[in-house]
Amino acid sequence: MTGGPARAASRRRWRGALRAAAPALAGLVLGVAALGPALGPGFVLRYDMVVAPDPPLAWPAAGGFPRAVPSDLIFAAAARVLPAELVQKAILLGIHVLAAAGAAALVPGGRLVPRLAAAVLYAWNAYLAQRLLLGQWALLLGYAGLPWAVRAAARGGPGRLALALLPAAAGGFQAMLVSAPAVLAVAATRPGRSWRGLAGAGGVVAAYCLPWAVPALLSGASTDPAGVDAFAARADGPYGTAGSLLALGGIWNAEAEVPGQGEWLPATARLALCLAAIAVYLHAGRGRGAARPDWWAGLLAAAAAGLAVALTGAYLPGVLRALIAWWPGFGPLRDGQAYLAPLALLVAAGFGLLAARVTAPSAGRRPGPVWPVAAVVLLAPVLVLPGAAWGAFGRLDAVAYPAEWRRVQALVNGDPAPGALVSLPWSAHRAFPWNGGRVTLDPAIKMFARRVLWNDALTVGLPDGGVLRVAGEDPKARAVGALLAGDGPLTAALRARGVRYVLLAGPDRNTFQSRLPGGTVVHAGPELTVIRL
Amino acid sequence: MLRVFAALIAGAVLAVGASVAVVNVASPTPKAPDRPLYNYGSR
Repeated sequence: MTGGPARAASRRRWRGALRAAAPALAGLVLGVAALGPALGPGFVLRYDMVVAPDPPLAWPAAGGFPRAVPSDLIFAAAARVLPAELVQKAILLGIHVLAAAGAAALVPGGRLVPRLAAAVLYAWNAYLAQRLLLGQWALLLGYAGLPWAVRAAARGGPGRLALALLPAAAGGFQAMLVSAPAVLAVAATRPGRSWRGLAGAGGVVAAYCLPWAVPALLSGASTDPAGVDAFAARADGPYGTAGSLLALGGIWNAEAEVPGQGEWLPATARLALCLAAIAVYLHAGRGRGAARPDWWAGLLAAAAAGLAVALTGAYLPGVLRALIAWWPGFGPLRDGQAYLAPLALLVAAGFGLLAARVTAPSAGRRPGPVWPVAAVVLLAPVLVLPGAAWGAFGRLDAVAYPAEWRRVQALVNGDPAPGALVSLPWSAHRAFPWNGGRVTLDPAIKMFARRVLWNDALTVGLPDGGVLRVAGEDPKARAVGALLAGDGPLTAALRARGVRYVLLAGPDRNTFQSRLPGGTVVHAGPELTVIRL
Repeated sequence: MLRVFAALIAGAVLAVGASVAVVNVASPTPKAPDRPLYNYGSR
C-alpha cells in the first residue's frame, strides 16, 4: 500500500534533479557539439591554445606581460594527476558546462525553458566560438565563471564571491579583466549595497589579480600602441563593426571568425535575436523592487562599459593609442572585443526573459501547445550560428605531437645545467603539417622547464596584403632579436646572454646552424635540431 | 495558435538559413602554404 506514494515521491525527486541539472547537461551537449573532433585523442593546438605533454611545473619565467599566469601553472599541476590532453579536454568541456549552468541560474523564476534558453545562448554564441578559435581558453574560464560571479556579487559576501571567481582567478590576466568590471558594478548597485560590501568585493578581485599584476608591474615590459590598430574590433558580417559587436562577434582576427557567420540570413537573425534580448532585458529593468533582479543594473553598466571599450578601439583608436603610450598598463584595452563578455551574459539573461514571455501559458479559450515555441526558442542560438558546430567544421582538431618533440623535450628538461633556450625561426607562430597547417603559438614556449626566449613581436596581416608589426614586450627577447638580425656568428654573444640551447624548427634550419660555430648538435631530426652552446 | 504558427515560420526560416550556411562552409578549404613564418592572424 505504501509502494505507490514512495515510488511517486522518488519519481518527483528524480524529475527535480533532472530539471536542476538540465542546463549543465545542455552545456555538455553543446560542448560536445562545438568541440567535435577536438575531443579525440591528442592536443588541440590553435593560435593561443598551446599545451604540451608533461608541461613543466614551474612559475613562468619573467619576460613580457605574464599572460599565462597562473593558468599554465594550474594546467601543469592538473597534468600531474591526469594526462595533459585529458586536462585540456576537461577544461574546454567544463567551460561550456559552467557557462550554461551559470547563465541558467541567473534567470529569475523556476521555469525550465527560460533557464535553458539562457543556458543555450551563453554556451553557443559568436563571442565564445571566436575566442575558442583564437585559442583563448584562459579568458574563457573567466567567461564561464562570470554568471556565477555576478550572482555571488548580487548576493553579497566575500566568501561566496571568492568561490565564484575561482575560474577567473585560474584563468588569470584576461579572465579577471573581463570579470572584475561586472563584479564591482553589481556589488556597487545591488539593493542593500554598502561601502563595506563593495570594499570586500574589491578586496577579493585585487587578491586574485596579484599573481599576474605584481609580475606585470615588475616586468619592465612595454606595450606598442600599434597594437590598437592590430587588435581593434572589426566587422565580421554585413552589419559593420557596431552590428558585429552587438551580435557578440567582431573579433579582430579574420581567421577566428566562425565559418559562415558572414552569411546574411544567419547574420541578420543573430543580430535580431541579440537586439530583441537586449530590449527585453532593458524592459525588465523598468520595474523596481522584486521584479528586477539584483544584478540587473550592475550587469547593464558592465556590458555598456565593455561595448564602449570595443567601440572606442574600432572608431576612436587614437584615444586608446594615447592611453597606452602614456602607460603600458592600458595595453589590455587594445583587444576591446574581449570585454563583450558581460554583454554576452546580458544577452543570455535577456533571451531567458524573452523565452519566459513567448512560452508563458496563454489564457485564451483555445490555447495552443507551448512546446513548438519552446523548441524553436531553444534551437535558435544554434541555428543562427551553425558554423560553430563540430570544431567549427574542423578548425579545431586534436593531433599528436611527433615523437621527435617528446625526445627533444626530455633531452632539454633532463639537463640540470641552467641556461635559456632560444627558439628559432625568430617568429612567434608556427603552422606544422602534422597540425593540419593550423597556425599556433610556438609549442617550445610551453615545453621546457627553463627560460625560453622567443620573438614575442606579433605580425598581423592586413586586407591590402601588407603586414602590421606590433613590437614585442620582453626586453631580453628584443636584445636577442637584435643579435639575430645582424650577420656573423652568434655563439659567443648568445652564451654571454645566458643561452644554453638553440632549438631550430622548420625548413630554414641551415640559415641559423651555420651561425652557431662551436655549438654541439645534440639532436638532429626531420623537423627539429637542438644545439647546445 | 498564432504564436505556434509564428514560431514554426521563424524556425523554418532559421533552418533554411542554417542549412545554406552549412553547405557553403562544408566545401573544401585550400591547404595552408608551407612556410617558416606565420602571422598572428589577419584583419
